[in-house]
Formats: sequence, C-alpha cells, structure tokens
Amino acid sequence: MNASSNPALPPDAPWIVLKFGGSSVARVARWGSIAELARQRHAAGHRVLVVVSALSGVTDALKAIGESADVGERRRLAEALAQRHIDFAAELGVDPALLAPWLAHLSELAASGGGSRCQGLYAWQAELLAMGELMSSTLGNAALRQAGLNSRWLDARDCLQAQPQPNQNEWARWLSASVPAQRDDELRERLAGRNADIFITQGFVARTADGCTAVLGRGGSDTSAAYFGAKLAAARVEIWSDVAGLFSANPREVPGARLLRRLDFQEAQEIATTGAKMLHPRCLSPLRRSGVPLWIRDTGNPDLAGTEIGPEAPDAAPSIKAVSTRRGITLVSMETIGMWQQVGFLADVFEVFRKHGLSVDLIGSAETNVTVSLDPSENLLGSDVLAALCEELAQFCRVRAITPCTAVTLVGRGMRGMLHRLRDVLADMGSLSVHLISQSSNDLNLTFVLDEADAEGLLPRLHADLIAACALPAEEDEVFGPTWAQLYAGDRASRPQPWWRARVEALRDIAAARGTPAYVYDLGTVRERARALRGIGAVSRWHYAIKANPHPAILRALETEGFDFECVSPGEVDAVREALPGLDPQRILFTPTMAGDDEFADALAQGLRVTFDCVEAVRALADGRHGGRSIAVRLDIGPGRGQHAHVRTGHDSKFGLPLADLPAFVEAAQAAGLVIDTLHAHLGSGVFDAGHWREVGLQLASLAERLPTVTTLNPGGGLGVPYLPGEPALDLGALGAGLDELRAAYPRLTLAMEPGRYLVAEAGVLLARVSRIKRKGRHVYVGCDAGMHTLLRPALYEAWHPVVNLDRPDAPRTMRADVVGPVCESADNLALDRRLPADTAVGDVLLVDIAGAYGAVMASDYNRRGRPLEIVLDGGAA
Amino acid sequence: MSGWTFRRDGIGTFRFVSATYDAATGQARLEYAFDDGPSMVETIRFPGAPAPAHPQAVEKALQLLHLIAGVSYFKAAVPARIVVETAVPDAATAALLDAVYVEGLAEFAWRNGLDLRGRIAFPRTVAEDAGTTAPALALPRRSLVAIGGGKDSLVSVEMLRALGEDMTLTWVGESPLIAAVAAHTGLPTLNIGRALSPVLFELNRQGAWNGHIPVTAINSAILLLAALLYGFDSVVFSNEQSASAATLEAEGRVVNHQWSKGFAFERALASLVHARIAADLDYFSLLRPLSELAVTREFARHSQYHQHFSSCNRNFRILGAKPRERWCGACPKCHFVFLALAPFMAKPALVAIFGRNLLDDPELAGDFDALIEWQAHKPFECVGEAAESRAALAALAGRAEWKEDALVRRFAAEILPQLPPGSLDMAPLLRPGTDHALPSRYQGLFDAIQRA
Repeated sequence: MNASSNPALPPDAPWIVLKFGGSSVARVARWGSIAELARQRHAAGHRVLVVVSALSGVTDALKAIGESADVGERRRLAEALAQRHIDFAAELGVDPALLAPWLAHLSELAASGGGSRCQGLYAWQAELLAMGELMSSTLGNAALRQAGLNSRWLDARDCLQAQPQPNQNEWARWLSASVPAQRDDELRERLAGRNADIFITQGFVARTADGCTAVLGRGGSDTSAAYFGAKLAAARVEIWSDVAGLFSANPREVPGARLLRRLDFQEAQEIATTGAKMLHPRCLSPLRRSGVPLWIRDTGNPDLAGTEIGPEAPDAAPSIKAVSTRRGITLVSMETIGMWQQVGFLADVFEVFRKHGLSVDLIGSAETNVTVSLDPSENLLGSDVLAALCEELAQFCRVRAITPCTAVTLVGRGMRGMLHRLRDVLADMGSLSVHLISQSSNDLNLTFVLDEADAEGLLPRLHADLIAACALPAEEDEVFGPTWAQLYAGDRASRPQPWWRARVEALRDIAAARGTPAYVYDLGTVRERARALRGIGAVSRWHYAIKANPHPAILRALETEGFDFECVSPGEVDAVREALPGLDPQRILFTPTMAGDDEFADALAQGLRVTFDCVEAVRALADGRHGGRSIAVRLDIGPGRGQHAHVRTGHDSKFGLPLADLPAFVEAAQAAGLVIDTLHAHLGSGVFDAGHWREVGLQLASLAERLPTVTTLNPGGGLGVPYLPGEPALDLGALGAGLDELRAAYPRLTLAMEPGRYLVAEAGVLLARVSRIKRKGRHVYVGCDAGMHTLLRPALYEAWHPVVNLDRPDAPRTMRADVVGPVCESADNLALDRRLPADTAVGDVLLVDIAGAYGAVMASDYNRRGRPLEIVLDGGAA
Repeated sequence: MSGWTFRRDGIGTFRFVSATYDAATGQARLEYAFDDGPSMVETIRFPGAPAPAHPQAVEKALQLLHLIAGVSYFKAAVPARIVVETAVPDAATAALLDAVYVEGLAEFAWRNGLDLRGRIAFPRTVAEDAGTTAPALALPRRSLVAIGGGKDSLVSVEMLRALGEDMTLTWVGESPLIAAVAAHTGLPTLNIGRALSPVLFELNRQGAWNGHIPVTAINSAILLLAALLYGFDSVVFSNEQSASAATLEAEGRVVNHQWSKGFAFERALASLVHARIAADLDYFSLLRPLSELAVTREFARHSQYHQHFSSCNRNFRILGAKPRERWCGACPKCHFVFLALAPFMAKPALVAIFGRNLLDDPELAGDFDALIEWQAHKPFECVGEAAESRAALAALAGRAEWKEDALVRRFAAEILPQLPPGSLDMAPLLRPGTDHALPSRYQGLFDAIQRA
C-alpha cells in the first residue's frame, strides 16, 4: 500500500491515540506492528495519533548528562547517544540525516551545560530530556512512511502547554509539569487541516507559557497520551506495552493473578496508586474527566483484548478487583499529650509534615491519636528527615515511628458491602501484627498496614482466599480474564485434563452400581505424581505423609514407587504396617504432635525414625535406654505459610521447637545419648512458591553448620495443588533447581521431604447424587447426599473444589447455586456461588474434583448420615 | 576407618604427622592422627600461586600453619599428649601454640565442662632460640586484606582505599556472601580453598568433642603463608578493641570467645612472624584502635554496601534477595549490629537492611540485656562491649524516632535510671585508642576519626 492510497477521512472523523513505550520503539520489528495497528484503525475510519517514548535507556542517559558537571563527560555521553540513534536509523533502513538537526542541538546542549535561551538548570535539563522523544518520533515517522502510511510528524510542544500549579516548586514546573487537558477544538481543526490522517508525536514533552521546553516527569508518556486523548476528545486511548493490562495481583508474586478485562476509572486509579507499576496513576484523571476510555494492550499479542478502562458501569455489583502490596512503609503514630479535643491539633501535625516535605498517604485517627503512613522515598531513606520530623512532633505529642511496614490493599467498588465475604482475610490478618486499617472514604479500598516480616508470602494466600470466598469473583468472565500464567507462563500453566474426563461413563456406572457418596481414586495419577517427585534428584528420601489419605492401596502403590512414610500417630503407623507387613521400620518417620513420653518411647522401641519438637520429651529419655539412636528435630524457623490459618504451622502454632530452645535440646539429646541427624521444618501447606523449600532448607542448613552430627535436612512438604481454575501448577523443575543449589552449597547434607496432598489430591474425586433443589428468593440451593460429613474442607477451611454435573458435563453452566449437603449445620456446603447447568435435576450425579486428599480420612458419621465409600481404580478396573 | 574405633576418652596422643606444600598444584597438605588411627588430612588450596620465591620462609609459615590448624582435630578428643613428628617447634613458637590451644579453646572447654589449663604442653626444642629476627625478604609493598562479608573489613577496605593502598581482598573457603560483597568493592580478590578432613565429620558422629575453635588464628596462619606465596608485605585483619575483652570470667577462669581476634594474639603472632619467618612481613588489625561503635559509625556512611553485607553468625552459603536470607534476626550478632548502627543511620534505611525492627520486639529483651550485661553475661559471640551497647541504647532513648520502640522504652524506664550517670556518653567510646600495632604507614589514618 502506498501513502497516497489512504483515502482522506472527513474532518470530524473520531481520533484514536496509540501510545508505545521505550522497549517497543527500540525494536525494529515492532515498527512493523505499530504501522499495522495504525493502518487498521485508520481503515476503520479513525484518525490516528501515535505517541512514543524515547528509545529504552535514552532518558536515563540524558539524565546523566544533565547531572554531570564535567563537560568532557557530557560530550562523551552525548556522542554515544547520537551514535545509538544513527545506528538505529540504519537498522530501520531510514536516512540518518533526518536526525541531523536534533543531533546538532543535543551536542550544543551537552557542551553548554545550560545557558540556552531558557535560563536555569532545570530548564536546560528539561530541554535535554526532551531530546529522546524528539529523536525517536522523528525516526518513527520515517518508519511509518516507509511502511506506506501517510503520516506526519507533530511537535508535541505545539499542542501541550504546561500550566504552573499552585504550590508547585521550580523543579516540578520544569521537570514534572502539568498540562490542562480539556477538549481542544482548535487543535482538532488544526490537525484536520493538515492533509493527513495519521500523526506521530512525542510523549513526555510540553511547552511552557514563555515558549520553553518542559517535561512531564515519571510516567510522562502515558500522561501525554491521556492529554492528547482528552484534547482530541478521542474515541479511546490505547497504551501498548509488554503486558496485556492490569492484573488482580502482582503476577511476579501471584502467577494465578487474573487479567482485569474491565475497570472503571476510579478502580483503575486506585490499583495504579496502590502498587501496580503497569500504569502511572497520573494518566487516568484527564481521561476520566473527559470520559475517554483507556485500553491497555500487549504489543506481542495484539489480538488479545487487554484491560479496558472506562466510566463506571451503573449496575456494577460490589466486588474486589485486585489486591496489592507496597513495602518499606513507615508509620508515624502521634498520641496527643493532654490535649484532648484541643482545636488545631491536626493542623499543627500536618504543618510539620509539610514543613519537612513529607507527603502523607494513609491516615487513621482517634480522639487522641493520629497515625499516618509515609511511602519510602529517597528523602526518607537517605537523610535525617524522619529524625527531624519526630523531634519536632515530639514537642506537642508522643511520637512512634513504626517501620518497616507493608501496606496490603484490597481494591474494588463497594468494599463496605463485602465485609461478610472477608471473614477469612480478616482471620488471616488477625494472626499478624496489623498497625493500621484504613478504609478509603470513596469506598474503593481497604488497606492493612502490617509488619513487613509478616507480609512475606501473604499476597498469594490472600488472593486465593479472596477467590475462594467469592469476594474476588474470578468466575465473572466479563471482568476477569485468563491468569497471568495462562498468558505468559507457557507449558506450566496448561494443566493436563483431569483423569476422570476420559471416564465419565465409568464413573456414572460406579455411582449407579455402588451408590453415593463415594470417593474414587485413580492409582495411575498417584503413580504419575510420585514419579514426578522422584525426578527431583536433589531429594534422597521421600516420605509420604499418610494423613492425607491412608488407603492401603495408595500406601502400597507409593511403596512400590520407592516412597517411605510419615506418620503422626500410632494408629497411622499401624495402618502402614497392616498395608505393608514386613516394612523396614526405618522407612517410617514418626512425627507426632503433643505426644506423651510413652508414645515416643514405643516408637523408638519399634525402631521407627522419630522426630521431636520439644525438650521435655528428650529429657524423658535421659536414662540412655535408646542411646546411639538417631533422631530428627522439628524447628520453628519463622512465619508459617499456607492457604488458611488452620493449616499454617509456624509461630503462633503448637508445632516446632523454638530456635531459642535448640541449645537446650542439643544438650538433652547428648545427655540421652541420642544423635541429632536430621533438622526438620514444615511451614504449612498449599505453597506454590517453588523457591520455598530451598529457602527453608537454607535456614536449616545455616543452623546445621553448628551441629556437626546433622546429615539430613527435611524442609517438609506442603507442595501446592491448584484447586482454582487457571491456577498454575507448582513448578517442580524450579523446585528441584533450588534444591540442587542447596545441595551444591552444603554437600555434606542430604535432603528428605514429606509431601502428602501433592501425591493424592488430584487422584481422587467425590461422587454425590442430587437429592433436592430448593429456591429461596433469588438463591438456589442444590442439595446432595454428600456434605460436610463427607468432605469437610469447604466447611472447615472455605476450601474451593471444582464441581461438575456428570450427567450434563457439556451443558452451558448458567445457573448460580450453592451446592450443599444434608447435615443440619449452616456451614454444611461443598461449593458456594457456583455455575451449574440450568437443568440440573434431582438424581444427577455431581463430581467434586481434587478430593483425594483430606477427604475420606476426615469424613465422619455426624448426623448418622454414614461414611462414604472408597473405590480404587487401577488401570481402569474398579 | 576399618579396624579402628574412635573412643574419645581412651585416646592418648594427638600426632602432627606431616605438612607439605606442592608448588605445582598450589596445595598445602596438613596431616594429623590420633594414636594409630587413620590419618586426617586437611588441604588448603592457593589458586594460581607462583612458585615460592622464598622457600625457607614458606616452609616455616607452612609449619606454623600445620601446628595452629591442628586445633580443629585435637579438640575432637583432647588427649593428654601432643607429638610433633615434623620439625619440633622452638620455645617461642611452642609458647604461642600453648596459648592458642588453651586460650583459643577456653570457650570450648568451658562449655564441655573441661579445663585445659596446665594440660597443654607442646614439645619444644631445648636448643637456644635461633636469634630474634628473621631475614627481610623485600616483599612488595601491598596488602592482603582479609574480608569477611561483614561491616568491619569493609570499613578497613574503604580506609585503605582512601590511603591509596595497593590491596587484594582475600577469604578462606567458599562463601557466596563474601564473594558478592568483595565484588562490590571492585578490588582484586583471592579466594583460598580449604577442605577439612572428612574423617573429622565421622568422628563427630562417633561422639567427638565439639565446639568453638580459634578460627581467626587458623585463617591468620593461612594468610601469612599466602602473603609469602603471592608477595604481600602486610596481612591486614579488621578486629577492633572490643575483641580483646573477656566474654566471661568464672571460677577464676577468663573465657574470651574472640581470643584469636584479640590484641594479645595479634602481638604474639606478629612478633613471632618477624622473628622466625620474615622481618618485613607485617601482621596486624587495622581497626584495633577503634571500638565497635566507631566502626559502625564509619560503616554507616558507606551505603553502597548496606544491602549486601551481613555480620549474622549463621553462614548462609546461598545468597537470597530477602533480608531474612542474610540476617537471621535471632543471633547476638544481628542484635548487636542493628543496635550499633542505629545511632548513625536513618531509621527507615536501617530497618530496610534487616527487614524488621529488632528493637521493637519485646521477645528480644533478654538478648539485648545480654549485650549490655544487664543481669546476664555477654553472649559467646563477636559483639561489642557492654559499655558500647549501653551507650547506643542511651543515645536512642533520647531520639524521638526510636524512644517509643519497645526495647528502647524498656531500657529508658527500667535500666537507665540504675546505671551510673556519666557512664553512657558515646563520645569517649568513639575516640581511637592507643593500643595497637599499626605499622607507621597507617598511623595517620585515625586522625580524621580523632577529630570527628
């Protein structure tokens, strides 16, 4: 296609603003996509304005020139920059001579070190910084024209005029300028008269009232695109980058975070302000005021609809959209001293913050206390400003500087209407040191400020809790898109079809022939998981934690796969011995909790391996009757992890020997003639962070260095199983690599682990039959013969299990219902607020998936409803 | 170890069997044994070491290293008799060795309920000592600086850098932490390899005595040998004043956890080196005139290291980005370094290093009490003197951003009023002391600190 073939659009054709960042514009291949995107929009009847950043790294280099006092160095840096642009022009295949005027100006600026027409250091720096975009847009224009577009280069300074703000200091006036952004018909007409439909201009750059160059500060290119969108009253602004949009949590910490398909401006603003790095919060307000939608798109995946941000939907139900964290927060708590109800206390307080140049974020207040939060800034970290501030505040109140803290924020419209869904989140927070809770007055966020050490690993757990509690309704696919892992993590996220998909008929037959409720286990899946774990070469001994599922067929299958066993009670030991008569007792690790002295003595007498976690139990063996035996010690090395407060096992739980007691333990073991050969720590379950076991192992290894008899580290189990749809599986490759690193660093030590759930959860399903369907108002209850007496996890932990109607596996799932059991308890549910086929009927067989762990073993005969059947499939036969 | 069983209390003799240095591989081989048990061989690897230019001095340094490093093996059984099957030491050397084995193992003995006083007697030659000065070897003027990944050696490095000193940073054994910190200095490095005899681990499993050994004495001997091999005229450590103070005095015994970091050992080893190995090979601690507080004040200024260093006594052999992977937060070293840095750093910057505020954790009250020797004795760790910890806490009690933190408030309310007034001034603690053995070219270094 050639330039002249673009038919001219009518003068009132709607505008679209496309913005591309530095890493896009610095890649030759991306310019083909940029041209294609512009072409498509033009072909659809839009005028197009392309806004570009400087080539990646260029703004930093310009900043370095602007901060150097050495003219030689400035020249050298400027020459390197010039060369980079000349090289890039050659790569693009455009004429480097186009850059000549800019390069001359850059060289002049670098040489002069100021002293241009616009006086002052900041003015000079601003002019220097603007060079990056001026050059990249010049090259970009040539690239677009080369691709056959009739595009025109536009100097952004002719369109965006900075306006000084009240309280704006000199630095901000030049280097973090603001531009008023209302619809600008003069600009629209001017551009319509330019005989072109596609324009390219600079992000970040504006002009002052006296004709000098100013820049917009951090996130400036997004902000420029927003200004242009507002001025041109565009149909929309599209920001193109390496990710498809905003996510429900930081994907680096939560790979199961969902793409947010649709947000209103205020929600997006809140997410951007409370931690998301993707979008600069400044760029939203011009668009919100003028009602221009903002789309975020992925340059590498242009067909994927990313995040669309627009005006608030009038009928939006309250829901949480995202959870974010910010680290390094300092809280300043101020207690009035005998000034109760004194007029002007707050004014005095805030005056001091203003004076020290500190901007306050969150505020919590009481009659006699005000607590505010400060974000980490260079000022706060590198100077005495906090000391000076506190000193001054201390003159009229009692000050406490609480740091380091992390702010955890839930964002979503209608927070106050969702408190009942936050039961688990609040329970979770209750076990941590929370210093401040702030609920924003716009009802868009709820923020907890807690000790930074407590916040480690919290985000994935919270995110999962919110989904399980339906507070973050991940099933609403108009709002929530695919997970980050599905989009960007490749194979790891694509979980294989569950085993039962190929056996739907057979399962229905089982339900008919054998009755319900019934657990069905597939040994093939157990073996598959076992082999996957045995593939982790760094671990020399695997113990299956049989409490997850002690079915004898499973124990036998795992023994054949080379697994040893971990038992927590004499009963479990008996179960193993009955299933596997003649098993070497050293292959059973006995790790009871709160057991009496007799239990330990018996276990040692039976020849089992034994784990201790208190000094007294070892002192009871001081008579030396088991002298020479090796033992393990379970340590409490820090905060526990896992999906629910009940299944976490660090501080504030009964498990583990406190580190402070370790010397006494060692002494007691020596006195009893026992040799400590294993250090063990288990920090809870449902862990997806593949680096977790390396980290626990490292803590244990650093302790083992002072205990020369230790030969083995056991960093526990707790390997996460993805229950939620789209949640990525645990990355065993990464787990193994972390442990390899540990082994290499501590060659003297071998590793043992004790997974339970991981081996069996996905191998089991629960079959139940629908007994009753009941409607109460708009609420639908699907009742079945399985309940909390069959599968306790949903009632006990708010666990989330997938539920499928086996009689209608492919029917559209349009009915929202709670799946509940026949027990007289209001907590008796299997699944809340799920989608099932609308024609789900009494007699249908429901399948509750991922029920192989902590299912049958926790079942009871409560309400005299009987216990479930357990059926084992091996190679298809029941 | 077939045919021989380790019966700790039945062992009669510890034998120094042989010590050799192979110039072709740069490897020193140190051999030991108990009675007629298996030989225990430790190897020290000097990567890329040139052929020795001073073979006699190297031989002497090797012998000294052999005798000092034997302490790791000797302590497994602590037998009554010591036999040196290589060259028998002269009286001066034997006296130093007796001290290393008695004082250096004092904490080990105390904790294991042993008493080594009067039980260690190295064999010595009866002949008169061979003079008091070894020959000068015209060693190049450059420093081999021991770096440990903590604050002290980094302060030395920056002081020496300011003097324009030609230096190489060195450490013994694998340590990613030290390697990373050393890389941040941008200076040349030398990582010396050391492998203990695997037999020792086996003995540990069979009930060997265990505990603290004077590791700085061993490392000093390794570095002296390295200086001769690679050509340095100074071996620089970074031990401060407080290393000389006793950790515990009980039942007439003085136990100093950091004895081999103390001034007495430094002087004894330095003069033995001048007398027996090389007159122009200096061994000293650059920070000897300084208190821990003076060192932390210096260190606070070097923010480029703050996110990388660690003085925690847990040896994390893998580096992680989280503070928890460098600082356990539970050991006396973590507690002391936190406290000693606090008066000299912005609070948010300090807590960012540790990932938590240790002075606001009421559960640590007892640990901080030990640091200030308040109804407790100083921990067996390389931490500053009680006076320093008291002065630091007193300073924080007067600081608005610290004084409401749990342990500072407790100190101010319950302990401070009972301490003698005037004993808490920090200024005298920051002034450099005069007990040191710095060669003259470093003497001017402390003028700046003196004035500060």
